[in-house]
Amino acid sequence: MGETRLKRELGLLQATMMGIGGAICAGVFVTLGYAATLAGTALIIAMILCGIINLFTMLSYAELGAALPSAGGEYTFAKASFGGFPSFATGWFEWLSNMFYAAFSAVGFAYLVSYVIPAVNVPLVAVATVAVFVAVNTKGVKETGLIQTVLVVILLGILVAFITYGFLTSQGSGSFELTSPGGFLGVLKASSFIFVVYLGGEAIAVAQAEIKDPCKTIPRAILLSCLALIVLYTTIAFVVFKIVQPTDLAGKESPLAYVAQQFMGPVGVAMVTVAGIIASLTSVNTSIMAHSRVAYALARDGYFPSSFFKLHPRFSTPHLAILFGSVLTAVCAATGIVNFLTYATDFGFIIGFVLVNLSLIKLRVDKPNLTRPFKVPFFPLTPLLGIVTSLMLIFFLDPGTLFIGAQLFLLGLVVYYVRMVERSRICQAVGGMNLGISAFSALVAWLVMSGSLPMALSEGVMWMVFGFAVFVAVVFLIAGLLNVAGSSER
Amino acid sequence: MGKARKALSKLVGGIQCGLGGIVAVLALLVYASLAVREALAIASEEVYLYIFAFMVFSAISIASGSILIWEGNEEA
Repeated sequence: MGETRLKRELGLLQATMMGIGGAICAGVFVTLGYAATLAGTALIIAMILCGIINLFTMLSYAELGAALPSAGGEYTFAKASFGGFPSFATGWFEWLSNMFYAAFSAVGFAYLVSYVIPAVNVPLVAVATVAVFVAVNTKGVKETGLIQTVLVVILLGILVAFITYGFLTSQGSGSFELTSPGGFLGVLKASSFIFVVYLGGEAIAVAQAEIKDPCKTIPRAILLSCLALIVLYTTIAFVVFKIVQPTDLAGKESPLAYVAQQFMGPVGVAMVTVAGIIASLTSVNTSIMAHSRVAYALARDGYFPSSFFKLHPRFSTPHLAILFGSVLTAVCAATGIVNFLTYATDFGFIIGFVLVNLSLIKLRVDKPNLTRPFKVPFFPLTPLLGIVTSLMLIFFLDPGTLFIGAQLFLLGLVVYYVRMVERSRICQAVGGMNLGISAFSALVAWLVMSGSLPMALSEGVMWMVFGFAVFVAVVFLIAGLLNVAGSSER
Repeated sequence: MGKARKALSKLVGGIQCGLGGIVAVLALLVYASLAVREALAIASEEVYLYIFAFMVFSAISIASGSILIWEGNEEA
């Protein structure tokens, strides 16, 4: 269908850069300090461990991406293996987490700019950044890929310069010894904390409908970006501990800039800040591309409004899906609530990892004859390890993450039923809920006025709550009656 | 559906969507602002419960409002 209208314009280089750029976000510039206090110099082991955990799941992405190269990434895999609500839930979380990730990166970019120019308005810069990348993504995937490649090459150039200079310099503590103050548990804790620096590489799979020669390019790009990230992060960690002690990094807002200051002076700080800014921009670019392709795929299958499936007549990009998702991204970015965005992003990505591995196992069992240009080695051990290690990360996350995840899941459930279930049944259900809320609001109003509510509210607030509760009770009563009457007419 | 009922559906639907939006913003404020929590006498351990309740209310309100507006705009 419309799938063929998306142009295959991304080669191996651009796809690999999409993966690397999606993963290297501002996180690597700020998380090293706290992680070093947990794992000491053994942070290097944590970096490798995270890379291996990431690799387990990325191998699944490589196999499924090459076997099912249509738009939507995880959603497409879950649809082929499970269908129904599980596939919708996968797409839903993927769509939301990419939007939150774009907002998180835009806010990160704005904060980095504010270090250089303190007078800038952070939410405004974040929203403007989203707007710029909406224009780039609407213009065409070729332009998106080109900008991504240029930005990532500059970013890698700066990081390689940092690493090379770090290896060559005679400055620093000299001897290097692997030690962890918290033992192996400390390494595990640090791993769960810094795992975020590997997230985002799966954007390659989301854009798979626009990758040339997908059977070969997708697995190669995914594996190349994965290995490049392991080498890059490990060598950065090595240089950091060659120059300073882990304890020196405690409480530093930008540990990498602090290290650069030690052996490169102000030039080093400027370089690292520019690198952080570019890293944030590449993440915004990748995530806008990713969330729009997921919305496009969800619209293709009737879960999202059909307008998201429309392509721009001139640029062949899903411009309405880009625009709608980016408006939500801009709203999130304007709030600047970084903690919420971090939690929501982490949860969505980790759930996506689990579902991709499950999809791989189910498809191997259900469709053994599916053409697979690339196969995950050591099946089923590798995807099982991918599931176990991803679930392990959930246990180390903040409890707030699980709570926000549960809310997003509920919201997804509502959207799914609104789209899929017969309208008269939805009207009945919503009508019933409206009448229930009306009764509950009336009860709250009565409790407030009788002073039975166990809350110490001021008189002004009490009147406001009373007025609001009465208003809600009346509106929801009328709405409930209209819903129920409408459903019985059908 | 009569004209009056269509108009009522659109009006009530619009109010419900507005209420849903306001409560979603309130949920965000409860999460982010200590002053709002204090004004509403919300203890810190109850914050997530309130946010959850507000988000559920907001989702139902917007869903119901959208359905009513849709019905109000439908051709007879």
